[in-house]
Amino acid sequence: MSFLTSISNWLDSIPVIHQFASPKILASVFPFLLEGAKLTILFAVLGELFGIPLGLLAAVFKLSKLKILRALATVYVDFFRGTPLLVQLYIGLFALPIAFPVIQKIPDFTFYGGVAVLAINSGAYVAEIFRAGIESIHKGQMEAARSLGFSYLKAMWYVIIPQTFRRVLPPLTNEFIALLKDTALLSALAITELAMKARYLSSWKANVSPFMGAALIYLAMTIPLTRLVAYMEKRLAISD
Amino acid sequence: MIELVDVHKYFGHSEVLKGINLKVEQGEVIVVIGPSGSGKSTMLRCINKLEDVTKGHIYIDGQDITDPKNDINALRQKVGMVFQSFNLFPHLTALQNVTIAPIRVQKKDRRDSEQKGRDMLARVGLTGKEDFFPSKLSGGQQQRVAIARALAMEPEVMLFDEVTSALDPELVKEVLDVMKNLALGGMTMVCVTHEMGFGREVGTRAIFMDEGVIMEENTPAELFANPRNKRTQAFLGKVLAQ
Ligand SMILES: Nc1ncnc2c1ncn2[C@@H]1O[C@H](COP(=O)(O)OP(=O)(O)OP(=O)(O)O)[C@@H](O)[C@H]1O
Ligand SMILES: [Mg+2]
Repeated sequence: MSFLTSISNWLDSIPVIHQFASPKILASVFPFLLEGAKLTILFAVLGELFGIPLGLLAAVFKLSKLKILRALATVYVDFFRGTPLLVQLYIGLFALPIAFPVIQKIPDFTFYGGVAVLAINSGAYVAEIFRAGIESIHKGQMEAARSLGFSYLKAMWYVIIPQTFRRVLPPLTNEFIALLKDTALLSALAITELAMKARYLSSWKANVSPFMGAALIYLAMTIPLTRLVAYMEKRLAISD
Repeated sequence: MIELVDVHKYFGHSEVLKGINLKVEQGEVIVVIGPSGSGKSTMLRCINKLEDVTKGHIYIDGQDITDPKNDINALRQKVGMVFQSFNLFPHLTALQNVTIAPIRVQKKDRRDSEQKGRDMLARVGLTGKEDFFPSKLSGGQQQRVAIARALAMEPEVMLFDEVTSALDPELVKEVLDVMKNLALGGMTMVCVTHEMGFGREVGTRAIFMDEGVIMEENTPAELFANPRNKRTQAFLGKVLAQ
């Protein structure tokens, strides 16, 4: 018996640890948890991927001269930032399919619907990030572009928005971290992402250790990202 | 070429331009002087439609830019503008600053635009700096890139708004030299500047603005040496005393 196995056995013999963080159980459920984590990452990445262009569009609308576009963006951002994601998921995945039964015919509706709600929700936060980023660019930049014959939108696309990237990257990463954690809410829709996997495994093993395992996996994803944000912010502070 | 007809501009309730009439013919170099707050920048910004005039008309090649039916983005391409604060695009190299508008606005071929951009940078004395980002260039170099950037659109008129006043004294000359060459090459120019030597040398006409009106107009030599208007005299007295 190796040294590690004996430590593991000794830990498992302590009732609290066995119930809460049993090395044996953790080891046995780990591969299943990782499968859940894959789905978690997939949801978060897709949500952010579609959330960014959506948020960018909403930010440009919010800064537009046209009142109707500003109003549209305001309603969107206020609604999705002002209501819980869980309620948005219920509306998108339970209420809408009841109101419009055709939706139920879409194959893998729960998956696509989940991604859509996450993207739309994240877009509302991304919109505020880009709005602040765009507003931080000196107005002389827009004027110089316009004086060269750029239309407003072309000036935004080629001159203003590229300049916001460095500045919005840290808050966008923070938003991604938040989204990654928020995917746990998908368990309320029986989607077997990491948190849901942990719940199933926990009742299957009649032991809560899988939750600890899930927490560790979430941390393994979020801590490097948090450090990355800190690093980017430091670099930004130096270059400013 | 450019004609301002009874141009008024209000910011809120304050009237900043109070009926400006000005005609700029092809090849003219107009020098605009006047105290701070007299409306010089506002006048230039109206010509480029960075500000909307409240009343009056501005014609470029006979087309009224105050008429919303005219394509302002097309009209703006005829008018190049250089700002006091350079306003170079910091995320682009010197060459990219010069080529972005020809490529993205005029949809010109990238290769041709780059060749032309290099020529343009050479014209303002910046050969070898093509791949430098603005932050790595001196103020004088940045301002010359800004001039090249405006020239790359092949404008018919160039507007200069105190383009040397943010520069260290030793960097002023290199920018003025570029402007002189431009004037000698026949470019139509409107320059707000307090560089009297430059004005005398290349200006075809000088204008003194005060409180939103053109107070006096003459050849630069005459206006600077023998101002008739009391305000012009007082202003020049102050400037020359510096
Ligand atoms: N966007 C604005 N909103 C309100 N007032 C403005 C604005 N721009 C300019 N003004 C006012 O208009 C007046 C004329 O300004 P302008 O910048 O045209 O003067 P100027 O002759 O260029 O002065 P300077 O020599 O200091 O550059 C000033 O009183 C200024 O405060
Ligand atoms: Mg000014």
